[in-house]
Amino acid sequence: MLNRRNFLKIGAAAATTTVAAGASLNVHAVKDLPHWGNKDFSPGTGKRRQAIPSACWQCVTRCANIGYVEDGRLVKIESNVNSIRTEGVMCAKGQGAVNHTYDPDRILYPMQRVGERGSGQWKRISWDEALDMVAARMKKNRDAGTPEKVAFHYGRMKASHSKTIGGFFKAYGTGSIGNHTALCEGGKWTAQELTWGGHYDNWDFDNTKFVLNFGSNVLETHTNHIPTAHRLLWAMAEKGVEMVTFDVRLSNTAAKSKEWVPIKVGTDGAVLAAMINVVMKEGLYKGDGEEFLKYTRVTEDVNASVADKVKAIKAHVKGYTPKWAEKISGVPAKKITALARQFATTKPAVLVSYRGLVAHYNGNEGERLAQLLCAVTGQMDKPGTRMKAVGAGWKFPKIPSAKNVKKLHIFDGFPGQVAYPTHHVCEMVFPMIKDGKHGRPDMYIMYCYTPAYANGNSGEGIEVLKDEKLLPFLVAIDPFYGDSTMYADLILPDTPFTERWTAEDMVDPAQIGEFYIRQPFTKPLGEARDFSDVVFDLAKRLGLDMGKAKSHEDYVRLACENTPGVKEAGGFAYMKKHGVWHDKNAKPQQQVYNRPVPESKYKAKGVVLDKASGVYWKPASAADAKKGYVATKGAYKKYVAQNMPHGVFSGFAPDKVNKSGYLELWSPLLKAKGFNPMPTWIAIPEHQKMGRDDLILTTYKHATQTHSRTMNCKYLAEVFHSNPAWINPKTAKARGIYDGDRIKVTSDVGSMVTKARVTEAIIPGIVAVSHHCGHWAYGRYASGKRAPATDEERGDRDFKLKWWTDNGVHPNWVIPNSPDPINGQQRWMDTVVRVTRV
Amino acid sequence: MTTDSAPTMTRRQMLKRVGATTAGVTVVAAAPMAARAATQEVRYAMVIDTRRCSGCQACSIACKTEFEVPLGGVRSWVEHIEVGKYPNVERRMLPRLCNQCSEPPCVDVCPTEPRKATYKREKDGIVVVDESLCIGCAKCVEACPYDARFMNPFKGDPVKTKGNGVADKCDFCLHRISQGVQPSCVNTCQGKARIFGDLNDPTSEVAKLVDEFETTVLLREKKTKPSVFYIGAEYLEAKKDPKADQYFRLDTHRNERSSKRWA
Repeated sequence: MLNRRNFLKIGAAAATTTVAAGASLNVHAVKDLPHWGNKDFSPGTGKRRQAIPSACWQCVTRCANIGYVEDGRLVKIESNVNSIRTEGVMCAKGQGAVNHTYDPDRILYPMQRVGERGSGQWKRISWDEALDMVAARMKKNRDAGTPEKVAFHYGRMKASHSKTIGGFFKAYGTGSIGNHTALCEGGKWTAQELTWGGHYDNWDFDNTKFVLNFGSNVLETHTNHIPTAHRLLWAMAEKGVEMVTFDVRLSNTAAKSKEWVPIKVGTDGAVLAAMINVVMKEGLYKGDGEEFLKYTRVTEDVNASVADKVKAIKAHVKGYTPKWAEKISGVPAKKITALARQFATTKPAVLVSYRGLVAHYNGNEGERLAQLLCAVTGQMDKPGTRMKAVGAGWKFPKIPSAKNVKKLHIFDGFPGQVAYPTHHVCEMVFPMIKDGKHGRPDMYIMYCYTPAYANGNSGEGIEVLKDEKLLPFLVAIDPFYGDSTMYADLILPDTPFTERWTAEDMVDPAQIGEFYIRQPFTKPLGEARDFSDVVFDLAKRLGLDMGKAKSHEDYVRLACENTPGVKEAGGFAYMKKHGVWHDKNAKPQQQVYNRPVPESKYKAKGVVLDKASGVYWKPASAADAKKGYVATKGAYKKYVAQNMPHGVFSGFAPDKVNKSGYLELWSPLLKAKGFNPMPTWIAIPEHQKMGRDDLILTTYKHATQTHSRTMNCKYLAEVFHSNPAWINPKTAKARGIYDGDRIKVTSDVGSMVTKARVTEAIIPGIVAVSHHCGHWAYGRYASGKRAPATDEERGDRDFKLKWWTDNGVHPNWVIPNSPDPINGQQRWMDTVVRVTRV
Repeated sequence: MTTDSAPTMTRRQMLKRVGATTAGVTVVAAAPMAARAATQEVRYAMVIDTRRCSGCQACSIACKTEFEVPLGGVRSWVEHIEVGKYPNVERRMLPRLCNQCSEPPCVDVCPTEPRKATYKREKDGIVVVDESLCIGCAKCVEACPYDARFMNPFKGDPVKTKGNGVADKCDFCLHRISQGVQPSCVNTCQGKARIFGDLNDPTSEVAKLVDEFETTVLLREKKTKPSVFYIGAEYLEAKKDPKADQYFRLDTHRNERSSKRWA
């Protein structure tokens, strides 16, 4: 049903020919090769390699993949051509994942610290000993009535892993769970929750005619990377779709754009505001915009007419003229006007935004301004625009929760620091632990998380990790020895994803859920165990009920056997064989907001209309009804429909916060916290008082790496291992800096000495440093240091051939932990620094 | 949503239209067709459409893993070329691999007798290395103007090669194409920038693309007659690239010590 354009005979079905064992290579003249992939052969012997469908985990995109095994060894990974998400293509990171399994610095046995924290002295212990330790500590805290002092902080934990591991800790009774989202783009999600409800915007490149990009580097990195990026490349190549990218440097995405528009750091919001000004002034909102505004709230009055809404928006953006924005952003007023017109009149067009817009002090408002521009042009949730994303909804087995789940209040920033930390504020956990007034964990577990490396202020992070008074019992769960695991008291060897089971669910740009699983390519090496299996073991030791499943594989099996659609297709057996499944009869989702809701639903028993918000909801009690929708904790879960002047509609259902069912761009929630209820330009405070010689430090990602954990993949490190500071020639010359010179970069929290890369591909006045490099203890390829061996020397024949010695310098020593005051997003791009030649 | 909006133009018209939007591309019968060897049954070739390449390096890593290429060696890699003056800066993406030349300098210098260890296959034009014959002298590595060959220390008889390993290079994934499967780099490319096939077959994609577009090759003046053709890389054969005067940086993403400049 999804008939992809077959310009280059792409998407060939999985192979049906078989090769006799031991067949020698023979060449025959084939016209065009019939098979795109899904099968592979040994280059040496020609023998067919065993193909196992699974899923990648190098980044959160989690593409469906195929692993090839030869003589029990994982030798190659490719995309699964049958995936409607990836359509058979894969990025460098996914290809490089074979290096994970055989990383010579992998931890293969539980290890216990001997000597000082961080001294690198370890003894090997058994799993029994290790889990006895963990269980005993957890029991101690539970018996003391303080289960919340067991803190579990994950970097990446998704889908079925999230259910079993998360379920385990909930069954135990601790809600002290940390995540990493604020380090990525948590703020973007909060801004979306404040506006259109459940987060994730899918950019429909398949159907768009124009792409307006504020600070996304989608062709190198994105949370739905390959599924979206390849669609963009095909749209550009095959349909001539143009992209205009605003960025402070020429990323590869900017390089492939029709135009790179250089812009001053953190001023994208001003440009967006000015574009809205142009749209309103020139009447470009008429038609589609007016129609969409019916489903938008831009006034306190939830029954406002479209005419009133137009008036309100016009009044709000009156001062945001292109000339005004030019002064702030450096983008010529003419350009802003032209692009506003182009975006408004090219139907459909997609507005793309990511960390360049969002990882700033004013990021929340930046994303809200983006949503407002989409609203006034009607470029939202329709094919070819930014749409509400669709993932796979598995029916997961339930794991019963403890009756009273308690938590330490250290995961959402200091009191009053962040207005709506809906994705938490992980970068403030260590400062808060240091501060101590809001509690400290007795046991702090890092799972696939390297706080010292990934958070800002690495120096402070290490200080906290080292301190047994602050973190009495420190546990790391990781397949690899690393920059943070080195400080642990106990290391549990996790499996890399190449040795795991999972039921996966990441969103599909074709707007249909794709169900897929991860299955091990090979048996776990050494004594490595998937932590989502280990929790079943721990549960037994703690007398906890984990529900029906007996292991994580069992959990995945049950999910396959009970999820409608997957079940009928053949359940677990089908998924093990094919890896992916989607409903061929499903229609792509679009326009969730304008579906009329029948009276039977909004006039059902218990459903009331909240006058202030216009929300039809089902309050749990009369008291809640009296308090009202906005003021009742968790009211959003009871949302039924939205009352609008022209009817009762599905609207943009709320998630995480009690917003109305409108696209809410007048937010009572923000007003209540002292912010402007409408999306507003906010200047970044420290940039208004910079010294004459001060510069701004920004960070960026590269196509071959994910944030912190791929640098141990030797093939990826070979291509990208060095992260010199990009600097414009003008800025460099003024400081006597030439290409390759050693420079010192100093901020209020630290300094680093690194190399300069003098390039025209960046705006003056800043330095840009990639944060993938500068590991100080992530194995021989990432950091030049071998992990402390346990009872054997493990070699890798390539190590003698490592030709690079530059492992980079990590910028996070210089970047403070500092959240956006509305949503908690870590402000990666705002740091004021002084740069001098060494 | 995806099917209903499929364009009604033919693929050929589509490719022509897209070709017209890039600077200076005109549709001209490309010279390489004339180099079709009379004796060759099949002439495998690759077209690289750089307009579709985002420089992501997936092909580099796919090739690396497919063959477990030792660190320091490359069979396929992607170069980035930065040119221009702020804010008019370009970054050009240039995937590179052995050009499977019709007049391969590497074969000329191979000293082994009676049979050369490296040779161009009669039946399909792929230049290969016979591990069992290679003596590890590395003359072919030196001779290649494209820096497409390297010595692989993990292959060959160490006594015979005096520990130098054997010459190694891209062979168009012979082990895959012989089973009807696309080469690894082609398979992984998210932009579908690499197109592989038989240039001698007029119905193949590569033949049609080479016919449709004015493609360029690397170091045409060396008369190696490459079998790798580039779309959207006119600068490779431009008399003078004005932007290169302003600012020029070449990132090869490989061991610089062994890399030769092609430009």
